[in-house]
Amino acid sequence: MTLQQQIRSARMRTLVVLVLFVVLMAVLVAAIYVAFGAGYGLIMGMVAVGYGIFGYIASGSIVAAASGAHKINKEDAPELFRTVENAAIAAGLSKTPDVYIIDDPAPNAFAAGRTPDKAYIAATTGILQLLDKRELEGVMAHEMAHVRNRDVRLMTLAAVLVGVISMVADMLLWSMVFSGNRNSNDNNPLGAILAIVAIVLAPIGAALLQMSLSRKREYLADATAAELTGDPEGLARALYKLGVDQRPLTKVNRATAHMWIESPLRDNKGMRSSLAGMFDTHPPLQERIDRLQQMGGFTLPPIPKGAADA
Amino acid sequence: MNILLILIAVIVVVILLWLVIAYNGLVRLRNEASQGESSIDIQLKRRADLIPNLVEAVKGYATHESEAFENVSNARAQALGAKSLSEKAAADGAMQASVGKLFAIAEAYPELRAVESFKQLQTELSDTEDKVAASRRYYNSVVQQFNTKQQTVPTSFIAGAFGFSPRAFYRIEDDSERQPVKVDLS
Repeated sequence: MTLQQQIRSARMRTLVVLVLFVVLMAVLVAAIYVAFGAGYGLIMGMVAVGYGIFGYIASGSIVAAASGAHKINKEDAPELFRTVENAAIAAGLSKTPDVYIIDDPAPNAFAAGRTPDKAYIAATTGILQLLDKRELEGVMAHEMAHVRNRDVRLMTLAAVLVGVISMVADMLLWSMVFSGNRNSNDNNPLGAILAIVAIVLAPIGAALLQMSLSRKREYLADATAAELTGDPEGLARALYKLGVDQRPLTKVNRATAHMWIESPLRDNKGMRSSLAGMFDTHPPLQERIDRLQQMGGFTLPPIPKGAADA
Repeated sequence: MNILLILIAVIVVVILLWLVIAYNGLVRLRNEASQGESSIDIQLKRRADLIPNLVEAVKGYATHESEAFENVSNARAQALGAKSLSEKAAADGAMQASVGKLFAIAEAYPELRAVESFKQLQTELSDTEDKVAASRRYYNSVVQQFNTKQQTVPTSFIAGAFGFSPRAFYRIEDDSERQPVKVDLS
């Protein structure tokens, strides 16, 4: 696929995932209705909305602190700073995002901040040492693409939705246990069973959708980055180097994993089945490189086997 | 009867809503294109401002290159006086080529290249070059979206009705690119 085709297809897939999210919510609501009736459902709905709003607001800018990033000025790292400036210009952002550095030898980078005005981009000292100018441009363009595509907001929203769905499912399960299921047993046993199945499966489904959404946005950010730099090969070379590198980040947790250029988690080595892949925040690096090769018309050697497959 | 009325009302509302969204989308892209053009202006101006320093620096060493100095000064004046997009693009190309020429000349003077302020100037200029290129890419990608929207159905109806017109791409015509490639067939 060409660059523009990949961007369109990634947008389309995002839409599909979002629709599935809505469907999932609808199924859950239906399950509540069948199992408990409308009144109970309304109360639960209000609790869920309140929880969701609170979660969205509370999830502000906790990431920088959590990953040990500190803000830098242009004099501290002029080359990195210029690269970020250029990517911001190419993305048409009115303000260059703040730049943060993380003292960590593991090469990685992320973007955060829900709106482009408040966005910031962080890079580890490891990635600055590992990559040359052209590759760094690719990576910064990828992060800038996350900023411009409003991915941080989207993924925050997805995380909050997953939280809400899990909470509601938990509450339902417990209230079913304690109420002895008396509402539904009388009139509609099949409905009750289906409701239980929906309630048990909903959180898993939501988590799968969240991860799938994260992977789609990674592909989109890669394609957008190629558009911003006009050089898909630079980013592909960077991803190749990241694929060969084995060092895991020291300060990272699963909650912020979706924000990095490559997955910072290295706990799933060895067990690479398509099933395990469904829970990944990032597509395999090799697949991302392949897609960049398609739009750029170049070929890199495959990432050696045995290297970390993030 | 009632249902039919409701159906018509819904359709009308949907069409109106679409009209508003499509119109706003076109206006947004038009504004983004203007913003992109002024971003190009800013970077061109920045490069033009660096040129006198460059000329001063090189002049101290390369005294016999009056033609190169004249070219770069002309290109600078051309860039500062450019009004239309095509004039800017032409000046951009001329500036790029003549600055490149000056750096090529500077290559022959190791003492000059060792001067700290010259090295800094070189970084500044190559960074400005990157920034001009970045703003160019942004402008062109917005213009492409803008023009495509105007040319595709159904947005094309709105574009026609409200007098939107396609914008020109920013293409720089570098001298080296314009010259035909000589092919030796012997």
